[in-house]
Formats: sequence, structure tokens, C-alpha cells
Amino acid sequence: MNFLQIFENVMQAAVAGLLTGSIYGLMCVGLALIFGVMRVINFAQGDFMMLGMYAAYYIFGLLGIQAVFGNFIGPYVSIVLSACVLFLFGYLIHGLLISRVSGTRTTQLDGDGHYAQLVLTLGIALMMTNGAQMIFGSVMASLRTPLTTAAWELPVGTAISVFLNKSRSIAAIASVLCIMAISLLINRSRLGKSLRASADNPVAATYMGIDVNQAHRMAFALGVSITAIAGGLLATNYPFHPFVGLEYVIVMYAGVVLGGMGSIIGAFWGGLTIGLVQQLSTLVLPTQLQNTAIFVVFLLIIFFRPQGFFGRSAERT
Amino acid sequence: MMLDIQSVTVGYSATPVLRDVSIQVKPGQLVAVVGPNGAGKSTLFKTISGVLTPTVGSILFEGVDIRDIPASRRPHLGIAHVPEGRQVFPSLTVLENLELGASTEAGRRDWKDNLDKILDWLPRLAERREQMAGTLSGGEQQMLAIGRGLASSPKLLMLDEPSMGLSPVMADFIFERLIEIRRQTQLTVLLVEQRVAEALESADYGYVLEAGRTVLEGTHDVLSANDRVRQAYLGM
Amino acid sequence: MKDRHSLSVMLVFIALYALLSVFTTDAYYQLILTLVLVWACFGLSWNLLSGYTGLVSFGHAAFFGLGAYTTALGQMHFGLSPYLLIPLAAVFGGLSGLAVGIPTFRLRGHYFALAMLAYPLAMLYVFEWLGYQEVTLPMMREAPMAYMQFEDPRVYTFIALGMLLGGMLLTRRIEQTRFGMALLSIKQNEAAAEAAGIDTYSWKLKAITLSGAMAGAVGAFYAVVLLVVTPVSVFGMLVSSQALVVTMFGGVGTVWGAVIGSAILIPIAEILHSELGSHLPGIQGVIYGAAVTVVILAAPEGLYWKVRDMLRIRRGSSSANQSGTHPSGIETAPVAAMPERTAQQRAAAETAEVILEARGLSKQFGGLMAVDDVSFKVRKGMILGIIGPNGAGKTTAFNLLNGFLQPSAGEVLIDGRNVVGMKPHEVCAAGVGRTFQIMRPFMRMSVAENVVVGAFVRASSDDQARRMAQEAIEMVGLSDISNRIASELTSKELRLMELARALAGQPRLLLLDETLAGLGQSEAEELIMVLRRLADKNITIVIIEHTMHVMVRLVDRFVVLDHGKVLTEGPPESIIRDKSVVEAYLGKKWSAA
Repeated sequence: MNFLQIFENVMQAAVAGLLTGSIYGLMCVGLALIFGVMRVINFAQGDFMMLGMYAAYYIFGLLGIQAVFGNFIGPYVSIVLSACVLFLFGYLIHGLLISRVSGTRTTQLDGDGHYAQLVLTLGIALMMTNGAQMIFGSVMASLRTPLTTAAWELPVGTAISVFLNKSRSIAAIASVLCIMAISLLINRSRLGKSLRASADNPVAATYMGIDVNQAHRMAFALGVSITAIAGGLLATNYPFHPFVGLEYVIVMYAGVVLGGMGSIIGAFWGGLTIGLVQQLSTLVLPTQLQNTAIFVVFLLIIFFRPQGFFGRSAERT
Repeated sequence: MMLDIQSVTVGYSATPVLRDVSIQVKPGQLVAVVGPNGAGKSTLFKTISGVLTPTVGSILFEGVDIRDIPASRRPHLGIAHVPEGRQVFPSLTVLENLELGASTEAGRRDWKDNLDKILDWLPRLAERREQMAGTLSGGEQQMLAIGRGLASSPKLLMLDEPSMGLSPVMADFIFERLIEIRRQTQLTVLLVEQRVAEALESADYGYVLEAGRTVLEGTHDVLSANDRVRQAYLGM
Repeated sequence: MKDRHSLSVMLVFIALYALLSVFTTDAYYQLILTLVLVWACFGLSWNLLSGYTGLVSFGHAAFFGLGAYTTALGQMHFGLSPYLLIPLAAVFGGLSGLAVGIPTFRLRGHYFALAMLAYPLAMLYVFEWLGYQEVTLPMMREAPMAYMQFEDPRVYTFIALGMLLGGMLLTRRIEQTRFGMALLSIKQNEAAAEAAGIDTYSWKLKAITLSGAMAGAVGAFYAVVLLVVTPVSVFGMLVSSQALVVTMFGGVGTVWGAVIGSAILIPIAEILHSELGSHLPGIQGVIYGAAVTVVILAAPEGLYWKVRDMLRIRRGSSSANQSGTHPSGIETAPVAAMPERTAQQRAAAETAEVILEARGLSKQFGGLMAVDDVSFKVRKGMILGIIGPNGAGKTTAFNLLNGFLQPSAGEVLIDGRNVVGMKPHEVCAAGVGRTFQIMRPFMRMSVAENVVVGAFVRASSDDQARRMAQEAIEMVGLSDISNRIASELTSKELRLMELARALAGQPRLLLLDETLAGLGQSEAEELIMVLRRLADKNITIVIIEHTMHVMVRLVDRFVVLDHGKVLTEGPPESIIRDKSVVEAYLGKKWSAA
């Protein structure tokens, strides 16, 4: 293989990494929001994403969205609607279950409730994964558009060119737009400031008249729906099944930790990096070991730089 | 009577943290609550703010019993709590901290005016408005915490040990600012302090708390001449 | 947790189970009986680490799967028999436990859980890549019994019963010895355990090694029973969850938890799966998820404890053993009778050898000097009080003395030896005991059991530890109630118990952190009497306290801190009237004489 071919492969992998990584970034932002505000490790985040994929799928097929909006725009409309559904679902789950072991209840629990949060979200994850298997079956589903298999060809110089899968590119752009919207929400809106205040110092937030438990509920619902959007965008490119959540749990945590736990925008960069690592590793590793590459990166970060790379350095009081 | 705390007991064991405590604050007054560490001063504030609930007794704010009102609603009634240890939001800017202080209905209504006044009283905050609160010095954070409290357009401002951890010079400055703000606004203030002399100097009335009980109360003149206060702190 | 009956109950249970197995003729139900035991064993292995230390592991499938593949590949590639492979799997499991523990125990909280989660999943992908998607154990038709291949499925159940008995005996042994107590003290309050002389890192490693070994052995047996090993079935998330779920449901931190949980959940899940599995695939996972969700919300420690507590309440409500209404076992001395230190004692204290010396101690946090060039000496038999206004740096200074914080500068000399850089349990071994403000005692255990943890640092045998604990209990005057359960003690008695625990290691120096906080007048007086007696026995005491009116009569000397620096030091009479001290507390403008 000559240098030019290697270069082309690397470029192709890098471009693919950036595209997929953008979607991962959005996924991670959802988790980072929940962890950043509530300090809860949500085991079930991947499964909420999976539910989002199925919601989009069924909304598209069964609710007539396909008929109204057609095959190009329809899936994206379905994704938006599924995000709304997941928002409500997340709101409900927090209210019924998660709030009992987090927020202002934690002072009464052993070890600040971390143990209970881990186990509770694991229980929820088990129920959702297997419940989905019961309801939807194990057959792979997907939310393909005609663009899933189409690609733009981008010449680089005169000798080589890089292919940009159209559907993946649209997903990447959509992800970036979502991140920008979320960033605006978090930094400029009153809700965003209440969430950041509750994350920084829940006691002081209460003294300001902020209902911290309600803020947590909003953060949870938002975090879940954001990850659901990412899931839907993934679904336009790859098929999915009830166990897909588990495959992405490590991706999400790796991205969040890499970005600095608690930094929302950092999580996007972390997810992007993970996507790059995954795609670049295809150049040197066989397919089955790609995910192992992510694990290795994940473990390396946890051991050598747990505070991540992109987060803010300001400490909590 | 703005704040009327009647025979409040907080805590369940044989030795509750606060026992049969009664404190009154009239509109426009500065009332000081002093006492050694562990006397229950912060517990008092937490009870007024609703983070803790009294087992016995009532808390009347402007004549209304607020015991059943949840903690996050009380600031909207006009009770601002500047907590012990400042407790600013470290990853938010000075301006954002102040904005959050204005989360109450009254605060939002008066935001523009309040902001001007606060920055006028505490010019260092104006200089550092875009700076992250976590990077401010102790004294600046205390100013920010007070500004945040003022931003809610409160009827009652509660200050929990504002001088703690500050150098004497900075503490003096904070007190001086407080006096000036009161002079201009006739704000009602409930002040908890360990540094008795400063607290009592500008107080209209004072209470001495020891081991959860009020052991002494009176005007500034009565208290500052009383060795019982020293005994409460130093044991003999 | 003495439980004399537990061994006989165990044997009866095993016997009944064996009987049940003998009379079960249907092969499918027999398999369920076997699997219940397999998962119970697996749960016990998880319990060994996570149940006792409180460090939740989501990755036990790593050890389990490793054991399973040891058997499968060992038989397939090398023709070895499971009789050899199962112990070998235990060794591999133990070694991998150690390999996992050494780096991972450095992580805190969330990071620990996430790392543990990653290991089995990583191994899953590696084994898939290695081409072991499905490994079938070869049928050994010539000598089936030599390869643990039996026609009669009941034999498997009996082997599993043997493993379970072994696991239960091991767990029980651990519970009864200092191993179990050390692990539990880590769960209760790791910092306090360190301060009591327990090398937490070393005990955690021992626990995970045993836990991994057990899990490896169970996994190896599992492979023998099912005859097929796939990466997902032994490394998958459901496998790790299963260990956690059955134990959490049944009861964490007890020999019976995993057995109860497994006996209830596995048959339900398996039978539902076989009846409804075709219509409702995944019903097992839903059951497990629902079980653990309900349990964590309603009975977080598991069924065993919930039931036991409920039974105890019903039994205990007849005897009115509520706090504060029963005799405490200490004479309540009238306030006036508290003996002052004689002039002779004071003089002796002034010239005794120096036991503790702080030299130029400083601690900087960011830009703030929390402790600034603090120096003082403590002589043997002295009671020294560290006081100062709020935020003066007292607690930071304390934490520097016994190794919880490393100073930015300065030395801490104990008997002339600099202990800076030593871990808290090493400082404890050097003769320093410490109490904590927020103590979480073992609520379900007796005073004696709570106290014995403090003796491990000095005792070479468990019996010696128990004796030392009894001595300590006598020293604080709790002998009458040494068998009472901690949840029934008054706050004064709890403080004394905590003091006894610090004394059980026979320290020469005691660091007391707000021992009198929250106590009423007479209760505080009683505690002071006990402290005085200790000082008379030449135990040196350094105490941080805020309740001044008792402190002034207790201590020989005060060191006053303000803004991190030593303001002054001296005997109580002069300190409380010292102008600079009064100013520090009351403010510069204090005018009263």
C-alpha cells in the first residue's frame, strides 16, 4: 500500500469518525446533563436511548408521519416527536423512582445515596431492556432514509477523495445544531441557570428560591430526551435492537469522563474523540476489537486523568 | 412584628439543638444573635429558611405561620438567607450569581434598580462582573453573597456569620457596608455572628445563644457591659 | 455476629435440599435446583466483596466467565478434567481478582463502579475476537465420570450443594473473624477504619481475591453443567447483574442473603421463561429488574435484614428498651464532686516526656493557609485542648496529626519519630487512637462487637482482641451493657463506645474530635470523669471541643488557634481571661472587663 492510499484511508476514517463522533457527542451531552446536575450515574441511559429509537420508528411507521412527511423528512420529524415522548417518560421515571434516592433525600441515605442510585438505575435498565425485548422482539429495526446509502464524494487534492455518507452527515449537522441549542439553553436561559446553580450548590440554590428537586426532574427529562435524539439520528444509519443500549453505555461514559464529569460541552468533545478513536482503530484493529479500543481508552482515562480534558477547572465549594 | 419565633425547639434527642427559643424582629431593626460555636445559631437560620423543621413552636413571618411552607418558597415571601461560608455558585459569573438571587417575584420586578444599587454599594463586584465566582477572594465572595441576597428584594435579610474566615480588615469593611446599606434602605436584618462586639455595636437588640437556649437578651448597652456574654463563650 | 445456631441451620438446609433433589425426577426441575445453587454461590462470591465492604461491583462476570472458559478451553484443548480445572479456575479467578483490585481500588465511588463494569464487557469482545463464539465441552464417552459428566442430573445438584456448603462455611468463617469485621468497618466508615488501624487497602485486596476465586470456581462448574459457553452467557451484563440481584434481594452482608434471593428469584424467572418465554422473551430480566428496584426502595439491605429487624422489633417492644430510660451502667457523679487535677499531678505532667510534638505545621489549600506554622508539645499524661473561633483551622490541624492530610510543611513527631507521610492506619499502629464526630456504629451488633474492631491493630489473635476490647469497655464503664445492641444505646453510651473502640488498640495518645458535642450537661460531666481516669492511667489526650464550660475543668492546657496560627497557649485559668483570646472570640471592640 502506498503512502497516498494510506493517507486516503486515514482521511476516510477520520471523516467517518467526526461524523459518527458528533452523534456520540450529542449522546454524551444528555448523560453529562444528568450527571452534572444530579450527580447520579444513570445506568439506564443507553436503554432510554433505545426506547427513543423505537419510539421514533413506531411514530414514523404507525402514526402516519411517513405518509405525511415522506421518507426524507419523515424520520427526522419522528425523531423530534420521540424526543418529546422520552421527555415525558423521563419526567415520570424521575418522579416515581429516581427522586426517592437522589436530590434532597440523599442526606438520609447511606453513602449519599450513590449505592442506591446505581442499583436502582440498574434495575430500571434491566426492566427496560428486557421489556423492550418482550414488546418489540429481537428482530433488528431501522429508521433508514433513502440517504442512508448515498454519499457525497469530496475530492481532496487531485489524487484522492473522501466519501461523506449523506445520512450520517445530516445526522452530524443535526447533532451540532442540537448542541448549540442546548448550549444556549444552559447558558442563557433562566432554566439553564437554575440547573447550573442546582448543580453547583444545591443548598444555596434552595436559599435562592429554586426548587432543586424540580430542577433535577427537568435535568433528567432533558438529558434523557437529548440522548433519545442522538439515538434516533444513529437509527437513520445503523439498525438497532433492544440490547443496543448496552453497546453504547461504555461509549457514553467514556465520552463523559473524557470530557470531564460535569462539563456539558466537554462531554460533546469527549464523545467526538471516542468516535474518532473508534473509526481510526479500524485501520489497525480487526472489527471485533474496536469496542475494546474504547474500553482501553476509557480505563486509561479513569486511571490517569479522571478529571478529563475539556472540562472547566473551577472547583465546587 | 416582621419575624416572630415562638418557643421553637429543633431536634429529637434528649438534648435538642435548639430548645424553647423565642426571637422577635421588628421592621427596620437589626437584631443580632450571638453565641459560641455549637450554640445552634446556624440551626436557627436553617429552621427559618425551612431546611429544618421545628418539633415544637411556631414561626410567624408578617403574622403568618410559615412552618408548612416548603423551603424553596420562603425566599418568595421576602426572606433572604445569606448562608454561612458564603456558598456562592462557583462556576457561574458574578453577574449570573446576582441574577439567580433575583429569582423571586419581587427580585425580578426590581432587577434593574437593584442591580445598579448593589454595584454601587459593592463596587468590587462591578469590576468583576464577568468573573467566575469560584475565583473570587473570600471577602469578594462575601460581598457577592450579600449582593445576591439583596437582589431578591427581601423584606428580611438574614446573615449567617458574615465575618467567618475573613481577615479583620475585610470583616470590618463588610460590616461597614452593611451599616451603609441599612442606612439607605431601612432593611430589616437578622444577624448571626461569632464576633460579638461588631455584631452588637450596630444592633438594636441582641440575643445570646448558648447550647441551644437563649441565656441573655437585651439592647446593645445591656449586653456589652455584661460579663455573662464572655462566660458563654469561654466557659467561666 | 456469633450465631451459634447458624452451622446447624446450614446443615439442616443442605440436608433438606438434598432430599428435595433426590425426589425430583423431572430433569428440567432438577436443572433449576442446580442453577439455584450455582447462582447462590455466585451471589455469595459477590457478597464477599461488595456485601461486606460496600464497594459495588458490576463486573463479577469477569471472574465467572474466566472460570467458565478455563473449563471449556482446558477440556477442549488439553483434555483436562473439570476436577482439576475447577480448582484451577479458582486460582485464575483469584489472581484476576487481585489484578483487578490493585489498580481499581485506588478509584473512588462512581469511577470504581464504572471501571468494574468495563472489565467483563471488554473481555466479552476479546473472546469473541479470539473466535470463541461458542465453545462446546466435548463429550467424553470413554470415562464420563472422570470428566464430571453424569447421566443422573441429581449428581450435579449434589456437587453444587457441596460448593454452596463450602462457600457458606467460608463466608461464615470470615464473618466471625477479624476479616469480616475489618470489611464491615470499611463499609461503615472507611476513614474511621483507617484511623482504627485497619489497613483498608490490604483487606480489600484479600476480599476481592477470595471473591474472584469463588466466582471463578462457580463459573467453571457452570460450564460443566451447561456444556456450552458463549461470551454473552458468561461475560454479559445479565450475568453480573444476577450476582448483584439475588444477593441484594435476599440480603447483603450475610451468609443467607444470596441463598434466599436465589431460591426465590431463580425458580420464578426460569419457570416464567419456559412457560412464557416464546411470547415474552426477556421475562427473566424484567423479573430481576423489578425485584431489585422494589428491594432498593423498600428494603435496601435485602429481605433477610428486613424480616430480622421486624421480628426483633416485635420481640423488643415488650421490654421497654428505648433510649434514655434504662440504667446506663455508670454512676452519675454529682457535678460538684468532679475532682480537680492535683497540683502534684499538674507538676508531674509538666515534666513528663514529650509524646507528641507538632513542629512548624502548615497546610495550604489553594491560596488559603488553613494551618500556618503551628507548633506545640504534648507531654505524657497531659490533657491538651485545641480551641479557637470558628474557621480557626482546628479540624485541619487535627487531620494533620494522624495522617488524614499531608502537611505542606512541618513535622509531626510521635515519641520523637516523624510520622508525616504515614498512612492513618500506620499512625494508629504507632500508638495513636482517634474518635470521630460522625460515627456510624454497627447498629445491629453489640457493644463488644463494635469495640473489638479497634483492637485488631494490636492483637495477634482474635481471642486476644476480644480480651483487649473487654478491657477497653471496662475502662469507660460500659461493662454492664457490653452485650447490648448498639441501636438501643443513648448518645452518651454511643460516645463511650466509640471511645472504647479507640482505646481497644491500647494507644498512648488519644485524639478526640468533639466527643462532647450534643451532650447535655450531666452527660458531658460523666464523659469528663472517664477522660480524667484515662489521663490518670497515663494516656495522653488531645481534644477539640466547643463546649467550653466543661473543657475548662477537664484540660491541663489549651492551645488557642486563630486564622490558622497559634495565638497563645497555657493553663485554662489564664487563657480564658487572656485579652487576645477574648478578642479572638468576641471581637476587638469588646469592652467589658
